[in-house]
Amino acid sequence: MSSPRAALAWFRAWGRAVLFAFAAAAAALSFSAYTARTRALAVRQVYHGAWPVLPGFTLFIAFLSLVVIQITISVAREFDLAQFALELVFRAVVLELVPLLTALYVALRSGAAINTEVALMQMTGGLDELRTSNIDPYEREFVPRIAAAVISIFALSIVSCTVVMVIAYTVMYGYTPWGFAEYTRTVARVFGPAALAGLIVKCFAFGVVVAVIPIAAGLEATRDAHSVPIAVMGGMVRLFVALALIELLALAVQYV
Amino acid sequence: MAEREGFTAVPKNLQFRVGLLLGLTIMVAAGFVLYALYARGVFEATQRLTLVSDNAEGVSIGMDLTFSGFPIGRVERISLADDGRARIEIEVPKKDAKWLRASSIFTLERGIVGGARIRAFTGNLQDQPLPDGAERVVLRGDATEEIPRMVATLRSVLENVEQMTAADGSIQASLANLRGLSERLAGPHGALGALLGSEEEAKKLLAAIERANTLMASLAGVSRKVEGLVGKTDERLFGQGGILDGTQAAVVQVNAVLGEMRETLKKADQLIAEAQQISGSAKAATTDLAALRAEVEATLRRVSALIEEVNRKWPFQRDTEIRLP
Repeated sequence: MSSPRAALAWFRAWGRAVLFAFAAAAAALSFSAYTARTRALAVRQVYHGAWPVLPGFTLFIAFLSLVVIQITISVAREFDLAQFALELVFRAVVLELVPLLTALYVALRSGAAINTEVALMQMTGGLDELRTSNIDPYEREFVPRIAAAVISIFALSIVSCTVVMVIAYTVMYGYTPWGFAEYTRTVARVFGPAALAGLIVKCFAFGVVVAVIPIAAGLEATRDAHSVPIAVMGGMVRLFVALALIELLALAVQYV
Repeated sequence: MAEREGFTAVPKNLQFRVGLLLGLTIMVAAGFVLYALYARGVFEATQRLTLVSDNAEGVSIGMDLTFSGFPIGRVERISLADDGRARIEIEVPKKDAKWLRASSIFTLERGIVGGARIRAFTGNLQDQPLPDGAERVVLRGDATEEIPRMVATLRSVLENVEQMTAADGSIQASLANLRGLSERLAGPHGALGALLGSEEEAKKLLAAIERANTLMASLAGVSRKVEGLVGKTDERLFGQGGILDGTQAAVVQVNAVLGEMRETLKKADQLIAEAQQISGSAKAATTDLAALRAEVEATLRRVSALIEEVNRKWPFQRDTEIRLP
């Protein structure tokens, strides 16, 4: 495979992912997508995507943020910049690190599963069967997975961010209520309407790409069994690039 | 319906868990949004304060206005006015507005590290409260602006120190002098030698003091003698039977004599006048007598004048107190 052709294939794959995203958005906005079956699948997907991992993931984020916050605050105190430590923690850990880590975790866990599932459905002809029996695979299989990914990322992000904020307070002020006023002022300074809206949009984008790119990549699989790992690999790489791009874009919009 | 095929109902506990997760997420998210709104002062009444500065560098939206180190307000908006000055609009919650008075002063300071700080200072908390929408000029202090000037000053200070501490500098010379002084202080004549510069001078001074002492002793004797003399003189002059007493008595006598003489002369005058009357028509014969009378009168006047003069010159008659010049 020559490199121009590879580049062309790369562009095509991205183009297909974008096209699929539009088609999925159209399906999600159409009223017919909201059936009891779609809802049931979404509930299952949310359950499998978020519920079992919630305690473990929250614990992991808690330990990680504890270390990061402890380092940030002690270094800031050393340099006599303690008044900026909490703001730095909020901006770096709560607004950026936790949502990105959540998205990566859900991508590794659910994204890879969706990618493989769709590729196998494509290989075994399951999707073709649906189409021949006049069932829209978007409504039946894709939209519930996308919705489930978005909900999972939101749920995990919000729970982890809350835990991180509690840890930040404890590390900064200890077990005393007297830091609350200062803490509240820092929250006011960091979590303005723009920051909150940015966080919501970013989490939504993370959730969408975590489902859309693996599904679009899975659809590239053929009846050939060898096409499945290639489709999964390409999909996961594109997912990683997409997540990094979204994070970069969010940072650029907020700080550049 | 084909859609119903293969559809298996979601177990109840699974539904419950997903519902719980979603409910928790939504509750936490809503709670956090409410908390952020509360933190940003959406639920409390505020008043506006506009600070005007020629430079708003380092000021950012969301920055605190502090009073005694406590944040009491937040920068809401920064804009450049038509006159080229920066307008910093600050929201102050009504409950914290009591710290700001009409006479409050606002400063904008920039440190070497970190952002700018807006501070409020209120000298008199009994003053009129700051009205809503007040506009004040902010006093600006910039540590980084001070640095070049500080460095320049420091350099000149260091140069001065260098000059002073050089081998031929004033401090070295002073130290050498000090050493000589301390050596002399330790010498036989101690502090005196150090003060006068040499041993000889110190000796001379000691001799001079000796002489002055003897002189003082002899002067004391002289003054004692003078005192005795003065006492005697006093006695002679003003004592019982002293010179002045005698003089006074003599003058009194002279006065009495002169008084008697005047009386006698008056009688003679009277006699002559009578004689003139007696001699009546024989005027011509008495021309000699008239001349005599004139002569007597002249003498009488002279004597009167003499008495007056003695009285004037010797004030003893009226005033017995004696005043020495």
